[in-house]
Amino acid sequence: MNMIVRHTPAYAEFGVQSNFSFLRGASRPEELVVTAKLYGFSAIGLADRNTVAGVVRAWQQSKVEGIAYHPGCRLVFGDGTPDILAYPRDREGWGHLCRMLTQANLRPETEKGATLLERGDLLEWGDRLSLAVLPDLLGDGETQLALLRQLKDRFDGSLWLAAAPDYQGNDRFRLEQAAALAAAAGLPLMATNDVLYHTPARRPLQDVVTAIRLNVPVAEAGFELAANAERHMKTAIEMARLFRSYPDVLEQTRRFSETLRFSLSELEYNYPDEPTQSGLGPQEELARLAWEGAAGRYPAGVPTSVRKRILEELALIERLNYARYFLTVHDIMRFAREKGILCQGRGSAANSIVCFCVGITEVGPERIDTLFERFISEERNEPPDIDVDFEHEKRDEVIAYIYDKYKEKHTALAAAVTSYRGRSALREVAKAMGLSEDVRSALSSSIWGWYSSELGERETQAGGLDQSDPLTRHVLDLANEIMGFPRHLTQHVGGFVITKDRLDEIVPIVKTAMDKRKMVEWDKDDLDAVKILKVDVLALGMLSCLKRAFTLLEDHYPARDEFGRPFSLATLPESDQRVYDMICRADTLGVFQIESRAQMSMLPRLRPRTFYDLVIEVAIVRPGPIQGNMVHPYLRRRQGKEAAEYPKPELKDILGKTMGVPLFQEQAMKIAIVAGGFKPGEADQLRRAMATFKRTGTIGNYRDRMINGMVERGYPREFAERCFKQIEGFGEYGFPESHAASFALLVYASCWFKTFYPDVFCAAILNSQPMGFYQPAQLVRDARDHGVEVRDADINASVWDCKLEKAFFDPERIVNRHASMKGVILTDHAVRLGFRQIKGLPEERMTTFIARRGDGYESVRDVWLRSGLDTNEIEKLAEADAFRSLGISRRDALWAVRALDGRKAAERLPLFDQPDIRLPDLEPATKLPMMQSGEHVIHDYRSLGLSLKAHPVSFLRDRLSRSGVTPNAQLSSVPNGRRVTVAGLVLVRQRPGNGNAIFLTLEDEKTVANVIFWKSTFARFRPIIMGARLVRVTGKLQCESDVIHIVADRIEDLTPWLSTLLEDTHPDLAKSVDGRKLLTGSTSRSHGNMPDLQRKPSEQDFRTLADETQSVMPKGRNFH
Amino acid sequence: MISHRDRNAQRIAALDERAEALRLKPGMGIADARAMHPAIDVVEADPQADLRLLESLADWCDRYTPLVALDGADGLFLDITGCTHLFGGEHAMLDEILARFFHQGFDVRAGIASTAGAAWAAARFRGRCIIAIGQEEALLVPLPLAALRLEPAIRGSLESVGLRTVGAVLAAPRAPLARRFGIALLLRIDQALGRQDEAVSPRLPIAPLSVERHLAEPVTLIDDIERLVLLLATALKTDLERRGEGARAVALLLFRVDGVVTRLVVGTSRSMREPRLILKLFQEKLTAITEDFDAGYGFDLVRLAILATAPFDMHQADLADAAEDSEEDLALFADRIRARLGEGAILKPVAVESHLPERAVAVIPYWQDAPRRISPPKKPAGPRELPSAVPYQPERPIRLFQAPEPVEVPASEIPDGPPRQFRWRRALYRVAKVEGPERLAAEWWRKEEPTRDYFRIEDTEGRRYWLYRQGFFDASKPPPRWFMHGVFA
Repeated sequence: MNMIVRHTPAYAEFGVQSNFSFLRGASRPEELVVTAKLYGFSAIGLADRNTVAGVVRAWQQSKVEGIAYHPGCRLVFGDGTPDILAYPRDREGWGHLCRMLTQANLRPETEKGATLLERGDLLEWGDRLSLAVLPDLLGDGETQLALLRQLKDRFDGSLWLAAAPDYQGNDRFRLEQAAALAAAAGLPLMATNDVLYHTPARRPLQDVVTAIRLNVPVAEAGFELAANAERHMKTAIEMARLFRSYPDVLEQTRRFSETLRFSLSELEYNYPDEPTQSGLGPQEELARLAWEGAAGRYPAGVPTSVRKRILEELALIERLNYARYFLTVHDIMRFAREKGILCQGRGSAANSIVCFCVGITEVGPERIDTLFERFISEERNEPPDIDVDFEHEKRDEVIAYIYDKYKEKHTALAAAVTSYRGRSALREVAKAMGLSEDVRSALSSSIWGWYSSELGERETQAGGLDQSDPLTRHVLDLANEIMGFPRHLTQHVGGFVITKDRLDEIVPIVKTAMDKRKMVEWDKDDLDAVKILKVDVLALGMLSCLKRAFTLLEDHYPARDEFGRPFSLATLPESDQRVYDMICRADTLGVFQIESRAQMSMLPRLRPRTFYDLVIEVAIVRPGPIQGNMVHPYLRRRQGKEAAEYPKPELKDILGKTMGVPLFQEQAMKIAIVAGGFKPGEADQLRRAMATFKRTGTIGNYRDRMINGMVERGYPREFAERCFKQIEGFGEYGFPESHAASFALLVYASCWFKTFYPDVFCAAILNSQPMGFYQPAQLVRDARDHGVEVRDADINASVWDCKLEKAFFDPERIVNRHASMKGVILTDHAVRLGFRQIKGLPEERMTTFIARRGDGYESVRDVWLRSGLDTNEIEKLAEADAFRSLGISRRDALWAVRALDGRKAAERLPLFDQPDIRLPDLEPATKLPMMQSGEHVIHDYRSLGLSLKAHPVSFLRDRLSRSGVTPNAQLSSVPNGRRVTVAGLVLVRQRPGNGNAIFLTLEDEKTVANVIFWKSTFARFRPIIMGARLVRVTGKLQCESDVIHIVADRIEDLTPWLSTLLEDTHPDLAKSVDGRKLLTGSTSRSHGNMPDLQRKPSEQDFRTLADETQSVMPKGRNFH
Repeated sequence: MISHRDRNAQRIAALDERAEALRLKPGMGIADARAMHPAIDVVEADPQADLRLLESLADWCDRYTPLVALDGADGLFLDITGCTHLFGGEHAMLDEILARFFHQGFDVRAGIASTAGAAWAAARFRGRCIIAIGQEEALLVPLPLAALRLEPAIRGSLESVGLRTVGAVLAAPRAPLARRFGIALLLRIDQALGRQDEAVSPRLPIAPLSVERHLAEPVTLIDDIERLVLLLATALKTDLERRGEGARAVALLLFRVDGVVTRLVVGTSRSMREPRLILKLFQEKLTAITEDFDAGYGFDLVRLAILATAPFDMHQADLADAAEDSEEDLALFADRIRARLGEGAILKPVAVESHLPERAVAVIPYWQDAPRRISPPKKPAGPRELPSAVPYQPERPIRLFQAPEPVEVPASEIPDGPPRQFRWRRALYRVAKVEGPERLAAEWWRKEEPTRDYFRIEDTEGRRYWLYRQGFFDASKPPPRWFMHGVFA
């Protein structure tokens, strides 16, 4: 009996480039690993061009697939040396590789992203590496041999020669040549396929990335493209066939891989040692700090339950050896506090009572009832995640401290991988396919926002392309394929990597766009995976605002906590019901997080009454819960319209506090564990898979597994699908409970200020601009609605920042809408606008201006002589009407400024520099036209972005009333369902999530109105909605839980009406706006048309002026 | 809609009435405009073309006065002093200009005044009017400041103090104005009111001598034009003789009825005044441009102008040889062949960068440039990065078959080996030596085709062939076919 045994030869592929060989490789690292496993390779390496940016992703996937994996790098030289595959043999070799690449990356001649490697680098750092040279087999044999001998002398025993088939018709010669070279140099020859993609189907994409790299259309890239699709992974059997004349070359790949013992897991937990004052070990030091902190947190004595939890947590931290991590974070925050920089930690660590005690977080675990086990799971054994927010203007000081403390050798920024998203993918692919510029821009402008899951019909329609055209299909298919591919590495906004050992022996360091900053090649997921310490040092505008608010409060008000200390984030009176009253009325303009339209409309329905309600509020208006369709069930249950129900009692433990609806990331994970049958470690893999499913295409397995698992355990399929959808949403926009809790604290604090001290809040937030949804005009208006007096910026009263001035507070000024705030507001100061509000004034010049002010400036000329400002800057002051306190109007001030001599002070005669010598002004008096209030308002808007004098719409009120417009303030008395017409300036356009509705916020002189356009109406009125600044909207009024919306069916552009604010100076202008155009380039042949010189000027004549009037009004801001 | 690039943003430069009706405005960002109307049609502005158009209009206006000046990007100044009587007075002239422009499809505004400034304001803010001397102030007073041709910065500052009309500025005392807004403001006022002269600088030098002929019946034939040239040259001769000069440069201007002006200039190496010689020069010129010469509806004005003169040398000889008999170069030869025999008369082969052999060469007309090679990459390669080596060029037959010829291959090595023997044009060939495969995949962006494996084959008699197999072996499909693509010499 004949038996044919088909023996699969052992083969390991080492010539592998992924798409981290930017614009060369056309497969993701994960795809390559999956294919290697499928083909039964004994091992796989990854060697991208002079980078190791993709090795962690491949490593992660190799663990899932269970295949031996070796991280490495393809060394591509700038000096003619052929490419060399370099793989570390051990930890030391990895260090060498990193040092070699770092050295080349930081070389002054190296441009960002174009590593300039030289043979000398390899000779210096090539020890403990296994090397495979890919010589030029068609080049001069002697030269190649000389090079091989040189390398062999240096690296004998760890040097291979590698050859790949290239299908140019001469492979037999090339392989013969390779074998001869190997024999002559005495080196082993190994096979490779020099892989660029995992399947031949990726050849078009590889051609496209080549074209993008060369910046030419594919059709013109010529010989730069590959002639065939052979650079894909091939099975071991196929490789054996290709190299059939050289039986040893496959075996040599195994030998090569046997020399490689390094695993990325050897880099784990390289935490820096924190020097401790007491000389204690890290664990003891942390315990000391925790107990010390606990005493401060609980002045009345540490409760037993807290004591118990501290002991438990410390024990867990000790078991996992995490103490150094906490100490590092603690030390950074200690530094910030010493400098008076407000900061707050968040992330999963917010659940930890130790973090609370040592001051990393401010939310005590007793305020949110969660367990530390979520924070650090022993089983998952991954590093704790702590992000720290700092005041946005002070973050640089913190960063400088970190550099100073850990030195450049031990710290650098994390990388962020910029990937192809919908818009960029479409634009670049369309360009590579040779579409014209205007088709390209039409295509990419069809994508609203940056996120688009799948490109298709909508985009091609916008670009005017025929779906059935093969070119269109190519563009769409390739754009979809390239989506998620990395484009380049940039620095992470604030993720610092800190290590105990030399950082450049752990991961290569590269330059960033900023001269001083360096970054590593790995992003935060990679760093998580190799368990390297990373602290996110982030900037948060609201912290700057709160810091200012606390300072203003301390300086101007006697308010103190029960121990007589000034208030701080942790000691603000908790759960003051008056604060929640305000929140329930959705009176939250400007506060943290819950200020957006969507959030505001949720507030009266959710009616938050406790801190935990705020935590939910912050978490619920997020893509995750919205995609998972969790919001409305929660609302109904919260309002008592339906009972909280649990498909199975086991879920009550998980979902009890959110009324049976999963809102937080950890709840979704726990459902996967409890109901879906996942192990805790797997559940987390599931979440990560969600974030990266585009890369691997393995999400389907998880989906089936989780939904089937839940159905098997008796859950309704519909519920299971919703849970899964939500996890999907979390993958992109994860929001765990602890994050929400830290944010909720800032929500409460900002609301607290807004409730009791609207003056403090207003000044603080104006001084922290730009931030949030609203412009200074709205913030100031809101403060005035709450009875706060706001005073003009003035040369003799203002300083750079907005400040508080003692003033009488009259509660009667509070507008009706906020009448319930009477008796609550404790304000007794007015807000004086600062020079920062005036456009175009530099801070340091104004600081000098203020310093030289003395007892005050007396005239425009005095300012010019003494303040050090140049005429341009004085003009800015005049334009802002800042000379009022001298009795000089805007126009007179401008007139005076224009008369100033533009010469420099040094050229002036000393005589004139004596301000007290008054020279008679011999100029004839010029009578300037009076500036009317409408015009003043326009100038205010232009210079300050707001006007304290009047609202632009107030000038149009009569006309609007005549046309049947209801003032926004009266909408509350209109019955539900009635058709109304409203008008106002467009403040914000928002198109959330799936884009089915567009929200418009309109502002008139009293308040705002909220308008909704459904998709179809939007399409019809798109030009007006997107372009107009003043509009009139007609639609049906909808009122639900005190939230009023107008569902619009019609919108008109009233922007030209704004021009009539100049009406007083040009009465004719107003009339002619609606009148016929007088100038239409008459071409009639009628005779005898002597000009009528008495004809009034037409609208056309003043068109630019009118346009300007319109353009100083806010353009409206677009949010997604 | 026309866009232009302004400080890194595409902005609307100009738009038509339909776009205006959509509430789009000049100066608006294209991105904003697209957000409003995703379907708008945007064309990149071409200021050069605009300028060329304006210049051609200026050429055409030459018929009214030799003193034509460009004004900004969209205006013309015509100094019509002393010319109006030729056209029946100011009114008639204005009407004629407007009517003629209208029929050419231009929407034109015009004004006549005794100062350039007032005429400018009248044209732009009134349209079709004539301002009598002394009426300038009355015209300007109600107009906005823009009517004074002021720098935007000065205009802005005046407006910000409430001086919005010319009248307001005129009413203000002069000294404070000068102090604040500079002397340029007063200059513009004075120029507009005629208190100060303003020179209009014509775009073409005024010819010292010129004669012209208005034709009641437009001419279209070259012969007629030549006759007119002779006539005009004869008229000029008298003037030249009186001045004792001869022409060194002569321009022939042909004003076509629809506004196109053809301008032919000839230079002479020695001054001349003989009409027949002048005609001869223009005959050469006219012959040379016969191809592009388009008389359309005919020319209604023909002008001959002497651009440069020099003292006339009475004793010159060999005048006939002074004509332009410059040698014709090769390109001119090719042009003539092309003109006679058509575009495809002279061709040349060029190499094209394509892996597919039948696409690697292209034949193009002789005068065209070879297709562009790869443009330099976005970023120049690192300073010391070596240029990529010349790619390996596999050996190819010198001539390919027009169409690959099918070959019968009874047996070959599976999966990608060469044939052992093959039958071509009924003869059987035994394969002795072979090299390959060279694998060439289709240019997927053009056409989907099976991948080819090429083999260089030598048969037992030493003849060499270039064969390929189209597609791969696949058990579920019929075996791939073989083709002969060429033979090696």
